[in-house]
Order: sequence, then structure tokens, then C-alpha cells
Amino acid sequence: MGGGVSRTLLVGVLCGVLSACGLSAGEAPGDGTSEAAASTGKSPALADVTPLTDVRDWEGEVTAHADTPVDPVATDPKPQLPVTVTDAQGTKVTIKDTSRVLALDVYGTLSRTVYELGLGDSLVGRDISTDLPEAADLPLVTQNGHELNAEAILGLDPTVLITDTSLGPWDAVLQVRDAGIPVVVVDSHRGLDNVGELIHGVADALGLPKQGDALAKRTQGEIDDVTAQIADVAPADKGERLRTVFLYVRGQSGVYYMFGEGSGADSLIDAVGGYDVAEEIGWNGMKPLTDEGLIAAQPDLVLMMSGGLESAGGVDGLLERLPALAETPAGQHRRFVTMEDSQILGFGPITASVLEALAVATYAPAALTGGEG
Amino acid sequence: MTAAVVEHQRAGIRALAGRVGLLGGLTIALVVSLVLAAGHGQLDIPPSEVLGSLLHKIGIDLGPVPQHPQGENTLWQVRFPRVVMAALAGAALATAGALMQGVFGNPLAEPGVVGVSAGAAVAAATAIVFQLTFAGTWTVAVCAFVGGLVTTMLVYYMSRDGGRTEVVTLVLTGIAVNAVASAGLAFLMFLGDTQAREEIVFWQLGSLNGSRWEQVAVVAPMVAVGIGAAVVLAPKLDLLALGDRAARHVGVDVERLRMSVIVVVALLTAAAVAFCGIISFVGLVVPHLIRLLAGPGHRLLVPASALGGAVLLVLADLWARTLIAYADLPIGMLTALVGGPFFFWLIRRARRTAGGWA
Repeated sequence: MGGGVSRTLLVGVLCGVLSACGLSAGEAPGDGTSEAAASTGKSPALADVTPLTDVRDWEGEVTAHADTPVDPVATDPKPQLPVTVTDAQGTKVTIKDTSRVLALDVYGTLSRTVYELGLGDSLVGRDISTDLPEAADLPLVTQNGHELNAEAILGLDPTVLITDTSLGPWDAVLQVRDAGIPVVVVDSHRGLDNVGELIHGVADALGLPKQGDALAKRTQGEIDDVTAQIADVAPADKGERLRTVFLYVRGQSGVYYMFGEGSGADSLIDAVGGYDVAEEIGWNGMKPLTDEGLIAAQPDLVLMMSGGLESAGGVDGLLERLPALAETPAGQHRRFVTMEDSQILGFGPITASVLEALAVATYAPAALTGGEG
Repeated sequence: MTAAVVEHQRAGIRALAGRVGLLGGLTIALVVSLVLAAGHGQLDIPPSEVLGSLLHKIGIDLGPVPQHPQGENTLWQVRFPRVVMAALAGAALATAGALMQGVFGNPLAEPGVVGVSAGAAVAAATAIVFQLTFAGTWTVAVCAFVGGLVTTMLVYYMSRDGGRTEVVTLVLTGIAVNAVASAGLAFLMFLGDTQAREEIVFWQLGSLNGSRWEQVAVVAPMVAVGIGAAVVLAPKLDLLALGDRAARHVGVDVERLRMSVIVVVALLTAAAVAFCGIISFVGLVVPHLIRLLAGPGHRLLVPASALGGAVLLVLADLWARTLIAYADLPIGMLTALVGGPFFFWLIRRARRTAGGWA
């Protein structure tokens, strides 16, 4: 009871502050005690929803879900083989056969790209982030998240392995190469800046350069489209944008990382039209954050992986364990936007849908929680 | 008179027979466990095909070759180097443990427990985080050796007082060294990028996943030199057990012996830690089991520990890599699971024999 009262009080104070700053307070915020409504089914298109007049007019957590059925650019493409490529590490690799493909990385981006190129049927295994229905029957080769076992990989008799340095031990990858399997290493960086490059890297290694061009073009077109739409709903003035941080939380031990420059989260926040707090404070990479640092950052919105929030015991559990978070606008208004671990930082063919779903969750959360918009 | 001589000779022959029996038995156990380990893995290859592949490699066209298209590659590029690495690391750690217990005159000395492994790991992690490559593939091993050497000396001088190393002092020194080393590792993890961080985590738990011939080529000579030196030093360690003064009287340069043993311990620990991470308790469990069987003489203890350590780690790794499909269990976890309770038992026993906390 007391919590409800104090929260209402805080909202009142905040509205006052906002009005004082010359911002429209908009309509009364929703019921602060409303629980998160997990989105069921399709995320609406950004064009079909009514954005909030003021993005700070919302209370409660929202789960964004990018609905991304596989839509290959080609059906049954004929790879041009053999093909020799120079991978991201400068290794010259010749691929003669793409009948048994393994594409493994921590975010599932590479295998997704293979599906979109139309070569999904050639995949013989998957990483933990590849949770498409099409891949459900494939053996999982990264058993505890990101560890590889060369013997298990060789057991699948791949004709080519496409991976990056996000899975390890690196020696296991080298063992596969020692065994004579062509191993193509792509950049492990994920961000809006190299979506096309990554797609080309995968497509070229599979002897599908044309399909790669088509997919890269399509993906970039979709991203440009969505970014333009987001620009229409996001506050034009940078100072009015939601101060956004990406928190990575696992479990209940109070370990939390803030993702900064170069982690992909920076790219995501910019694209969704948020104000990147990490950039402001010169935070780079993925590093543990201190409580006081979090309070000083004063985020309005926290982006998280849904699995991470769940493991921390939901928003209530997280706020209880991280009292510092409760001292920020995001915590006070429970403004958390989460998305599946396998989608949110993936970057690749699904990026446009990810951005759109996050934008809907940020600017028109009512469309997802069933409340009024 | 003659009867006494004969009796003496008989005793000598019995001791020799026991010695040959123990070493022979352990050698057979090692061969059996190597075969067992080579014949099992995530990729199912029948033992007959493993044998066939081996025979074909040495030029005898006998037996079936692996049917699986990647069977041959898997055996030679993944499984065999790993099994060999397990044997080498196990032998190195157990020998290092036996040597440390001898030179410290303390049953609880072991590279993992007193922090030598952790010290070596910090130095090796430094090489990874700062991407040092001054010695090619040997860089990490060289760093691990320097780290191990510094830590061993540190532990030796800090825990030694008045010519004795007391149990409590040694264990507490180990706690302190381990604490500083894990702080160092944590700091390096903070500094490192994602890949370096993963490698450090991999190390802390210890794993033989990803062992390659290149690494075996670095570790094998280190272990060979280390064990060779250990066997040479072993008889002198027996004299050292009489006490520093008695050893000096029979012509042992005690300080030089201690220094040589410390260098050998650092070398062996570095060999194991450089590519396999921190695998603790092997150096504790194995020498003690051997002592139970064969008594405390180092002449037998050192080579028997080397063989026993190899057997233990080959089998432990076999378990670690086959228990769960597509996954590897950290081997350090398995050895600690067994070694922890054993360590506790040793502490209780040491306390009893010393009549309290010596």
C-alpha cells in the first residue's frame, strides 16, 4: 500500500518537474501497479500504433517481441563452388562443399543469415540462440551457452564452419580447422554498422554472393525504413529523448553489466531514438557497473534481455536486489523494455523487426500491454 | 653370518620386486586408461576402428579404419592430442606435488593448494590479455613458468621459519597467495576483451578441451625435463627427510637442492597450467595414495606419482568429456570434488600426528 502511495507521489513530483521544464505532462500515467503483460503473438507495426504524446508518460515494463518468420531471398539456391574467401582474420579459406553447414555464434546471427540465404536445409547443427522452429530438430552444439567441443562438431561431419570469436575455447575452433574442415571466421562485432558486411561474409563463404547482395540490400532497406519511421515518433530534440541504458543481468547475485560503445547496445539505443547514456559517460565495452554509477546515470529507460530479467526475479526482484536502480526514473516508473536474449543484440537479417518492436515497446507500449495508448 | 647376508639380499630383492611391480602395474594401468580414453568420446568410434586407425598410421594395414567421414580427423586432431595432454598434465602435477611435499617436508604442499598454479595462471593470463607473443607458441608457457617460479619461491620463503614449514603456516600462506592471484585474475578479466575473459574463465576451472598437437609439443619437453630432473633429485630428497643438518652431513648441498626442486616444481606446474588451466588436488591425492602403497621413499614415489597422476587425469578427463553430450565438464571441478574431501582427511590426520596444530 505504502509503496503505491509513494510511487504516485513520485509520479506527481516528476510530472511537476517535467511541466516545469516546459514539457507537456500529457495524460495521466497508467496504473502504476499494473503488472507486465507479456506480449502474445505478433508485435504491431510502428505505423499502426499511436505513439504516446510524451514518452515519459508510461509506467510498467514491456516485453517486445520481434516476430520474424524466415523469409529466404532465394529458394534452393545453387552455390558457386569451389569458392576462396579471405575471412575477417585474413585467413584464406577454400570451400568446396556447402552440403553440411555449421554457422555458430553467440547471438545466432550467422545461422539466421544462412536461413535467409535459402540454405537453411544444409545446416547440421545450431547454437543456443538459434531458436527458430525450422532449427528445432538440429542438435545443439553449444551446450552450456558458448562452449564448443571439437569432437562433437566433427561428429556432425560439417563441410564448412562459419563462426566468430564469441564462442570458445578458440582452440576448439582451431582443432576443427586442423581436421581439414574449412573454417571461416567473421567479425564478432555486432552493430548497425556492419550488418551488410556480416551478411556478405556468410554469403560469400557459401558461394552465394548474389543472394548475399540481395539479402544485404533487403535488410538495409528495411532498416532504413524503420529508422525513418522511428525518427518520426522519437523526440527530435536530443535532450528530450529517453536516457537509455542497456543492462545485462544474470541471476540474483547482484552482478550487472552496462553495455557501452562497441557492444552493439550503443547502436541499438541510437537506432531506437534513445539518448545513449553510456556514450555520454564514455563507457565502452561490457563492464560491471557500480550502484552509484547507475544512480548518477539516471536512466529513464532500461533495455534488457528478457531471460536476464527473468533470472533476476522480474522487475520486482531486480529492484529489490538493486536498490540503486529504484533510485532512477527507470526504476521508479518500472520503465523496462525487454526482448528475447536471442533477438535483442543479434543484428543481421532480423534487425529491422527488432528495432520496430523495440520502438513500439518504447513509444507505444499500450499497444503491447493491451492498455490505452 | 651368511644367513644374515642372504636375508639382507632377500629383502633387497623383495624391495626391487615391489618397485618393479608397482611401476609395472602403474604402467599397465596407464596403457589401459590411454586405450580406454582413446576409444571413447563424443564421436562414437568403435575401439576396433581406433586400433585400426593407429595401426594404419604406423604403416600396418590391419583392422578397420573409422567409418565416420570425420572419424580419422577426429581421432588424430582432437582426441589423441587431448588424451596425451591429459597424461602429461597429470604426470606433471602429481610429480610437482610429490616434490613439493618432499622439499617442504609437509604433507599438504601441492601446486593448487599453495597457490603456485594460480600464480602461474595469473602470469599466463597476463600474456593473453596483453596479447604478448615474444616467444611464439611458447609465450604462454614461458609466462606461466615465470609466474609459477615467483610464486613457489614466495610461498617457500613466507611459510618457512627456523628450517621448518608448519602445516598451518603453509595452508594460510596458500590462502593468501590464492587470494592475491584470484584478485589478479579478476583484474585481468576486467581489462581483457570478451575473448580474453572467456579464456581466463576457462582457466580458472581447468579444462583439456581444445588441446592441440602444437600445445602438446610445448608441454611434452617441459614435462620430460621436469620429470627427468625429479627422478635425479629424488634420492637426495630422501636424505633431506632426515633433516637439514643430517642431509648436510652426508654431503647434500641443502640450499642448492631446495632451489633446484623449486625450479622443477615451477617448470612442471607451468607445463600443466599453460594450456589446461588450474587443475588442483592431483598433486595431493596421487602422491599420498602412492605413499600408502609403497612408503615414503622418493626414489619410488616420484616416478610412481608421475604414472599415477597420468592415469588419474586421463580417466578424469574421459569422464569430463563424455558425461554430457556436446558438452565438456570443467576438469578442475571434478578433481576438486574428489580432492577436497581428501584434503580435509589429510588435514585431520596431519593434526593428529602433530598433536594439534603444529
